[in-house]
Amino acid sequence: MPSDTISTWLRERVAFYVECEPAEIDPDVKLVEIGLDSVFAMSLSGDIEDEFGVLVEPTVAWDHPTVNALAGYLRGVVT
Amino acid sequence: MTPPRPPAEWLEDALGDPGAEGNVFSVAGLLELDRREEFPADACARLDELGLQRFYVPAEHGGGLRSYEDLLQVIRVLSRRDFTVALAHCKTYLGSVAVWVAGTPEQAAALARRVLGGEVVSLALTERDHGSDLLAGSVTATPDAFHHRIDGEKWLINNATRGDLVCVLARTGAPGEARGHSLFLVDKHALPEGTYRCLPKVPTHGVRGADISGIAFTGAEVPAGAMVGEPGGGLEVLLKALQITRTLCGGMSLGMAEHALRLATGFAERHRMFGRPLIELPQTARVLAEAYADLMVAEAVTVLSTRAVHSLTAEQSVISAIVKYYVPTLADQVINRLAKVLGARALLVDGPFQKVQRDHRIVGIFDGNTLVNLNALVNQFAGLARGYRRGLVDREGLDAAADLGRELPPLVPARLSLLSRGGCSLVQDLPTRTPVADQADGHVAELRRRADGLHEELARTRPAGRDVPPELFELARRYAALYAGAACLRLRAGDGGDEDDQGLRRSRACLARVLGRHDEAVDGLLPVLRERVHDRRPLSALPYRSNSRGAVTHAV
Repeated sequence: MPSDTISTWLRERVAFYVECEPAEIDPDVKLVEIGLDSVFAMSLSGDIEDEFGVLVEPTVAWDHPTVNALAGYLRGVVT
Repeated sequence: MTPPRPPAEWLEDALGDPGAEGNVFSVAGLLELDRREEFPADACARLDELGLQRFYVPAEHGGGLRSYEDLLQVIRVLSRRDFTVALAHCKTYLGSVAVWVAGTPEQAAALARRVLGGEVVSLALTERDHGSDLLAGSVTATPDAFHHRIDGEKWLINNATRGDLVCVLARTGAPGEARGHSLFLVDKHALPEGTYRCLPKVPTHGVRGADISGIAFTGAEVPAGAMVGEPGGGLEVLLKALQITRTLCGGMSLGMAEHALRLATGFAERHRMFGRPLIELPQTARVLAEAYADLMVAEAVTVLSTRAVHSLTAEQSVISAIVKYYVPTLADQVINRLAKVLGARALLVDGPFQKVQRDHRIVGIFDGNTLVNLNALVNQFAGLARGYRRGLVDREGLDAAADLGRELPPLVPARLSLLSRGGCSLVQDLPTRTPVADQADGHVAELRRRADGLHEELARTRPAGRDVPPELFELARRYAALYAGAACLRLRAGDGGDEDDQGLRRSRACLARVLGRHDEAVDGLLPVLRERVHDRRPLSALPYRSNSRGAVTHAV
């Protein structure tokens, strides 16, 4: 799966959570700085599992804390 | 071979007669210490002699902790006698749990030796300007080649001064980041002189004798081996460890609510009004019977959830949040309603009831307060809705948790997870489960109807990544009540002693209380309560042999 598809989806998801437009999400700014609470960011793992059918750790967004970092990681595990 | 005695019975006997003068566990003596805001040092020393600390060390590290249900009983029995003592002694488990969850075998072995030797271990999370927000801490740990240097102040820490070891959460990365904090097991005896000082005891409303103080580090060097878990793993390890301790907190509420109910019932038996015992007045009888039913609900939730630590470990992020919200909240309500039975006597300063009422309030605050726990549930709504829709049930794990006679598998800490992928088996089992018979007057059908309705609402909920709206907290409260109803229903079928009429009446009464419906089965509990108080037996539905002495029975 191309990384930009994952990246676009992630931006939409994060924008939905922090209630802004996807275009406003800077993919290189840390999610916590965008306003996504660290504990809440664990919810992304469930979304990722539903969307891409892969199992990821609940802490995946802690270890890959920006949209681009997370997209890069997912590119490696989503086939 | 005779089976080992349940710790509840052994410990209650070891604590001795609560009314005996000269007993370090006498209620009068412990009340006097509370009045003087003095630490119950003799009582704690006696618990050390009894070897209670073996329950704080898992069996695989050489201790006696095989079942968390045992530790729950220990906490309940101690809290029933005196919560200051319980808090002071059991805190060592809280201080140690991070090492049991994430420490190396060497760290665990070393800590086990010290705990078993009677040393006190504390957990230092909160700071003066940052309460429940674990990521806001400003204590730092700075690495050099061989050490970490710890600087800053932890405050409102139970046993910070008395503790020999303190498990400290310190910032090792960027402020506010989930991976920016690490845990350190700090040995106060090994710190270079002058690099730490303990802060004065803070006067508190409840547990007045407890060592609630703080510790300030200035360039305190700890060896590399002091770090517990991975660098940056502090929050993750803590949130997993708290899943165990938040569940165990239910035992504190059970013990204190039981004590309060015993005091109020004894008072209502002795006190006369309008020419007859207070307990025969319908209003008083109703309050006492409802309190007993509520205590049985709290017990069902706590015991099943504690067993689930072993058998539904991966669901404990949901279960522990439910217990830590629901049980202390329910027990606070019970104690406050019982206070009205006592009338003015409940207000007597330095009386036992008043101490329970003051002491209990702290349970809803520490170790993650009520809102933190509701929020933890809100964050998992999507998974809970999905699990219910798909009917996911970990059958083996649920049966092991609910069948009280069954031996539990050892806890595998690696199975703890920050989110429950499978949702919550107990609740998700509701639609399929066939109860023994719905002798509960339609309560079971009503519980299922509410389960369906609530999950439809959960599925429609928009996740909240910023500020959680109050409606979502309300949904979380309803979810917890649903879980409580499912626990009462499930234990009716699972508990071997529960097939009798009394068991069925009791669970029917519990379901009615959870659903907020009227049911004469609740009033029917009063004779059972009176008999148990009179005979000094535990106010519990668990099939343990009755205690020889029971808890407090002396005058309010």
